[in-house]
Amino acid sequence: MDFLGFAATQCLNALSQASVLFFIACGLTLIFGIMRVINFAHGVIFMLGAYVGYTASAVSGSFLLSLVVAPIVVGIVGMVFERVFLHRLYRRRDPGAYLMVTFGLAVVVSEAIRLIWGTQPLGTGIPDFLRGIVLVLGQPFPLYRLFLIALGISAAVAIWQFLDRTRAGLLIRAVSQNAEMVQALGTDIDLVRTGVFGFGCALAALGGALAAPLVTAFLGMGTTVVIDAFVVVIVGGMGSFLGSIIGSVLIAFVQVVGAYYFQELALAFMYLLMLAVLVVRPGGLLGKEE
Amino acid sequence: MNWKHGFIGAALLCALLPFALPQYMLTIVVEALIFGLLAMSLDLMVGYCRLYSFGHAAAYGLGAYACGMLLKHFALPLPIGILLAVAITVVIAIPIAWICTRSTGVSFAMLTLAFAQLGYAMLYRFKEITGGSDGIDGIPRPPGPFNIAWFESKLGYYYLVLFCLLGSYLLCRAIVRSPFGTVLAAIRENEVKARSLGYNTRRYKLATVVLAYGFGALAGALYAPFAGFASPELFFWLTSGRVLIMVVVGGAGTLVGPILGGGAFLILENELSQLTDSWPLIFGTIFIAFVMFAPQGIWGLITGRFGRSAIAASAARTEEAPDAAA
Repeated sequence: MDFLGFAATQCLNALSQASVLFFIACGLTLIFGIMRVINFAHGVIFMLGAYVGYTASAVSGSFLLSLVVAPIVVGIVGMVFERVFLHRLYRRRDPGAYLMVTFGLAVVVSEAIRLIWGTQPLGTGIPDFLRGIVLVLGQPFPLYRLFLIALGISAAVAIWQFLDRTRAGLLIRAVSQNAEMVQALGTDIDLVRTGVFGFGCALAALGGALAAPLVTAFLGMGTTVVIDAFVVVIVGGMGSFLGSIIGSVLIAFVQVVGAYYFQELALAFMYLLMLAVLVVRPGGLLGKEE
Repeated sequence: MNWKHGFIGAALLCALLPFALPQYMLTIVVEALIFGLLAMSLDLMVGYCRLYSFGHAAAYGLGAYACGMLLKHFALPLPIGILLAVAITVVIAIPIAWICTRSTGVSFAMLTLAFAQLGYAMLYRFKEITGGSDGIDGIPRPPGPFNIAWFESKLGYYYLVLFCLLGSYLLCRAIVRSPFGTVLAAIRENEVKARSLGYNTRRYKLATVVLAYGFGALAGALYAPFAGFASPELFFWLTSGRVLIMVVVGGAGTLVGPILGGGAFLILENELSQLTDSWPLIFGTIFIAFVMFAPQGIWGLITGRFGRSAIAASAARTEEAPDAAA
């Protein structure tokens, strides 16, 4: 077999996986940066995105439309949850309370999904215009995965520009550094929190809607992915946006290489990497030690 | 009422319970006691150090697998198998605790989670020893000492579990009330302050994590011979999540609360899952309600008139004086 072509397709494979991971991990890390909340429900939110995306594309017949509808619907769900539950817990200043209330949300939402959509896995199917196969250095590679990579990169660039250049982005960075000071300067930080939580959920939902054609939407897709995303965020550094990009790529490569060369160790590989990072840098690669 | 009266009363009640219950209920009651013990062990970390472990399944699973393998391959007497399993887990827990206590808060939760998941992954890696996804089955339940057919019967095993639970409770109660336990409370309330008073807080936390693993392993070691098998499920993060729920719903920082929470949870789950499919929906909602409105848990609600559970009181203090929070 042509090694170069093989290596290239494996790399692309890892990158496409990194894109999906990035959509989840980015929201997770932004939410953590702003409100020190570890959102245990993020995997289930991702799953909800996949299911809503499935219904949207089944009803409207347009895959692209589902990529718009899923984030909006799920983002609203996230904002409502933040307002009703998390909002009341900020005063308690107990990281355990967030962890647990979002764990409760994860249980409730995944059960709600089971009641609404049933237990059958639902395949969205790749839309026609993305169905083809491209030759990369003589090796066939699915077009849809290239589409994922392109979307992942453009999303990363867009979010980076948003955080860096716009006033809202400035506020988000400021709140993550010192929320009390920002509030004292007259900004409604509750609004920022709700917005960021909704935005993070919307990103995860987009990831879910994008992953649905690859893996089909099934119950439990959220639980495996949320652990992966936690690992990404911890390796990259809690609250660090750049860290979530680096972490996604790193973990995706470890997964792809692990699955190919060390099949039996593939699962353990990721955790070993995470432990190694944490022992050397307890705050993650780009994170601050708390 | 003195706590000793309460304890003796509860012990007597539990000792007489099997005679009031139909035979089939005994299985679930034994499991409830085991889960109560597991939840209580986690409470040492959560309630007394505010170390939220999301990987307590590791302690349970290690205890169960170690005990299962010892009993199956070496045909040891039951009490020795259980004690050895606890000892093995404690030895494994020391390096784990050493790494995990490097961080606090969310990172601590994630590190413990990572270790539990690593254990889960290892079960699949070393299939030859652990049986992979099948787990270990055919774990024997040898008779008691002097060849009395004691632990073989369900009733005998019930008393063994009850004895372990009550003994562990007394031990834990003594620990949290000792000078050692007082330092733990200081760490929970304000770690920076405790450190500046000259306490090496990390050493205390390390000891607590190892202790919690030890008691958790005892629960696992009791479970394996009772069920007759040990499966990878025991290591899975959902098990950790369930135990954490029990601690919070029961009342963190009270020891008694988590035992009640664990027992009640398991029995409710068993009963309700026969009635309705959507048991997770119900218990998820209950759980959220407890976190939101009753962080003191069941036991805190019961004793609410006389005193507040330590962690709820501490949470309330934090709310009153936000600046004091670390």
